[in-house]
Amino acid sequence: MYRGRIEKDFNIWVSKGMLGADAAKAMLAEYDSRETVFSAGRVLLVLAAVLLSAAILLLVAANWEAIPRLVRVGGIVALIWAFYLSAAVCLGRGWRGMGAAFLVLGTMTFGGAIALVGQMYHLSGDAAEALLVWFAAACVAALAFRSAALSVISGFLAWAVFGQLVMDNDASLAGNGYIYFIPGLIVLVIALVRYTNAGAARHLAYLLALAWLGWLYLELPEVWLAAALFGLGLLAFLLVSLPMSPLYRFAQEAGAAPAFYSFALAILGLAVLHAEMDGVGQEVALGATTLGVALGGIAVAGRLNGAVRFLGYAVFAVEILYLAFETLGSILGTSGFFLISGVVVGLIAWLVIRLEKRLAATSAVEGI
Amino acid sequence: MSDNPIFRPLVAAIVVALLQTAFLGYMIESRASILRSGVDVVLKTVPVDPRDLLRGDYVILAYDISTIPADKITGGFPTEAMDAQLSVRLEKQSDGFWGVAEASFGPLAPKDGSVIARSAPFYYYPTPDNPPSSLNVEYGIERYYVPEGEGRVLEEARNASALAVTASIDDDGRMQIRVISIDGKPLYEEPLY
Repeated sequence: MYRGRIEKDFNIWVSKGMLGADAAKAMLAEYDSRETVFSAGRVLLVLAAVLLSAAILLLVAANWEAIPRLVRVGGIVALIWAFYLSAAVCLGRGWRGMGAAFLVLGTMTFGGAIALVGQMYHLSGDAAEALLVWFAAACVAALAFRSAALSVISGFLAWAVFGQLVMDNDASLAGNGYIYFIPGLIVLVIALVRYTNAGAARHLAYLLALAWLGWLYLELPEVWLAAALFGLGLLAFLLVSLPMSPLYRFAQEAGAAPAFYSFALAILGLAVLHAEMDGVGQEVALGATTLGVALGGIAVAGRLNGAVRFLGYAVFAVEILYLAFETLGSILGTSGFFLISGVVVGLIAWLVIRLEKRLAATSAVEGI
Repeated sequence: MSDNPIFRPLVAAIVVALLQTAFLGYMIESRASILRSGVDVVLKTVPVDPRDLLRGDYVILAYDISTIPADKITGGFPTEAMDAQLSVRLEKQSDGFWGVAEASFGPLAPKDGSVIARSAPFYYYPTPDNPPSSLNVEYGIERYYVPEGEGRVLEEARNASALAVTASIDDDGRMQIRVISIDGKPLYEEPLY
């Protein structure tokens, strides 16, 4: 993790006399005191809340007939109020971990309450609709409390809606249309993640976006769609990773994720394009494009973004293997393709190394 | 007052809990209003295939009005694939049960001695052997939750076609179960709340 790496680097810099031991200590202390820093206690607290929520949901599923209906409804509504009010008290006193745990409990209990009411009153409602309501409730609560924990829950519930639609076979293009809500849910989750500073929860939203686009291609397996996925991914990748782009600063705030997932989308587009290709000319063109995109991604974002770098390397390696097995026309043809690729990549490497050296030289001069 | 650090989270808690309570209340009341103001119809259940379909703790119910023969459908079929709903006119038959008099993809005019039910939305697509000989629809009364272990009795009665369901229909054609009876004897009677 970052905490471990930076401590190691500090030790090196301190031992080389570049950084004072006191300064390094102070910096680490500042880092540890930040709100978002991983705290085992806080994580365990929220996990405990999740377990308790599961207990409540299972209690509902057991359908305890001994207690009159209205008492059961009253009980679960009282639980919801108790959890949210306790959360408010904890947050007001600055106990953020306890507050988050109570918020999780309250929101999970609401989901249980929907199931309980549906079950007690024999409402043969639609599970996806119930999940959508639950998702909406989690979003409202996350917004009202500015809660990162609830943003995470919203992210999971967005996934649950998508999964339920797929399971219900309502995810077809001509189905009940709920599947078109998914991009809206993704935008909502990303907005919440930014507003509540929920960090890692953004991956839930980005992964859902990839899954949804992948689903779109499965429903509509057309060349133009595959090409559009590739084009869209490439465009988004360039927009978020080229410093001259207007979106660059905005995307940098979100860390490595925007560049990585847009790059992954471009790769997804290329991967499905492989299924559409026909004939040696097209395969060569696509193979060269894939290798070019993999190297381009590393060149553009790879220095700062480890995730893009590794995906780039992986795609490059897999594409080479694919081409070797696929055999472009003949073994001799494949060999020729690799020969040309090798020479071109070698030339590019030479250019890049020269460029990097010049860049390093200029910045060293400026530094003096 | 708003300087108190507890003020903002407290307002948030009350708003969130109120909204969630209101939604649960809406769920309960929208059903209760159907039972309170609706017209009662007695429906015959039919065996469900596969026969052993006790899912968790609810029994799946199917009715003879769930299957609508094509010749009962007035106003024609849609020519394009679409999300459709059927309006179904129910009339009391000589055996005391209510049956399908006619059905339509469009609205039906009210008529004395009949009630109009609205099916749940379903996906309709024209088939080559157009029109189909019958359509299967749901009305939102296909599930009945029972205490653990009690489902078997209902299942057997249902499969022996001895199970009757009295349902209420409101003016919008929405249905809710009021009474479940076996051989004419009420087994479960649903209170409003």
